[in-house]
Amino acid sequence: MQNDVVHTVHFRRGLKLGLPIFLGYVPVGAAFGILACQYGFSFVAALVCSATALAGAGQFIALTTLVAGGNALTVLVACGVVNLRYVLFGATLSPYLRHVPPRIMAWLGFTLTDETFAINIADLRAGDATCWSMAGVGVIAWTGWVLGTAIGWLSSGWLGDPTRFGVDFAMAAMFSALFVALAENWRQVVCGVLAGALVCGLWLVASLGVALDANWFITIASLAGATVAVFMFRDEGKSPEEIAANDEILVTERAVRLDSRADSSTGGECGE
Amino acid sequence: MSAVSELAPTLIWVVIVGMAATNFTLRFVPMAVLSRVTLPAPVMRWLGFIPVSVMGALFAQVILLPSFEAAPNVPLYLNPGIFGGLGAMLVFRLTRSFMIASLAGMGVYVLVRWLVGV
Repeated sequence: MQNDVVHTVHFRRGLKLGLPIFLGYVPVGAAFGILACQYGFSFVAALVCSATALAGAGQFIALTTLVAGGNALTVLVACGVVNLRYVLFGATLSPYLRHVPPRIMAWLGFTLTDETFAINIADLRAGDATCWSMAGVGVIAWTGWVLGTAIGWLSSGWLGDPTRFGVDFAMAAMFSALFVALAENWRQVVCGVLAGALVCGLWLVASLGVALDANWFITIASLAGATVAVFMFRDEGKSPEEIAANDEILVTERAVRLDSRADSSTGGECGE
Repeated sequence: MSAVSELAPTLIWVVIVGMAATNFTLRFVPMAVLSRVTLPAPVMRWLGFIPVSVMGALFAQVILLPSFEAAPNVPLYLNPGIFGGLGAMLVFRLTRSFMIASLAGMGVYVLVRWLVGV
């Protein structure tokens, strides 16, 4: 009983924490709804698509590939490529999720996007997240995306350009804030700036006429940025503990903390 | 509203189901499998750098690249996106609230866009 109350508190906290995502998803979801309507998606099809795929860029790519005459397989491969970064996100979150019940894990996986990942990993690093708060972030993000799609489809264009109030900048502003939240020390700053510079570099090379698929930029730059950082800050001769202290990341310690909560006699934050 | 080339409903539904399955697999399987094993320390360390790396890449993708493309003639020091981004960063440092920081970033973005006239 008491646990349920605790879970509700955490869940509500997650809903609040995810509000900037909601704010950003409604207009982008609306843009998808408008486009889907124009391409012959029924209202139900557009809603089900957004509700089950929850993939911003992936859904737009699927639409454009379909309209360009692609078959189902081409569409799924294109959508899969742009979403490969989720594998990386899942791997990064995994050490924190050791004692999360399967059905909640399934929901966290289902609602894993750039935005929910960013908010949750920052919250986990701060030591505040539980699987219930993460589930709440997922619920509010999903609601914003589906609601936006419905509004877009129903308005069928008479809404005008939904970006004129600056809502198109909501996600960009959130990523900026998240960068500050995650760049805890200069090593992390260097790593982030490196990855950003790499995206710009790839874009420059592509704009010179080299055939580079922009859908890969985020994945390539993130992998390369982290790899370079690991080799740049080698701390030779230091113990893993000393290196971790220098990184100031403390992934393992926080992961253990979340575990011990789950194991505690009260049933823990994420217990059944 | 004029319909562009309308798509066949069957194709639409096949794609919807396929996308749902692909996305869920890509998102859930790595998370579920890797949370059952203890990853070696060097891998954990590498994963520790991933979030900030992703955020740097996303920042470039959603702020810098569209700025270069949309307004190539506007110098970077007048770019609404960069102002909005820096505004959000500063406000987050002061408030530690993602919501307030996002709203502040949007405000700065709209203001600078109006001032510069892009």
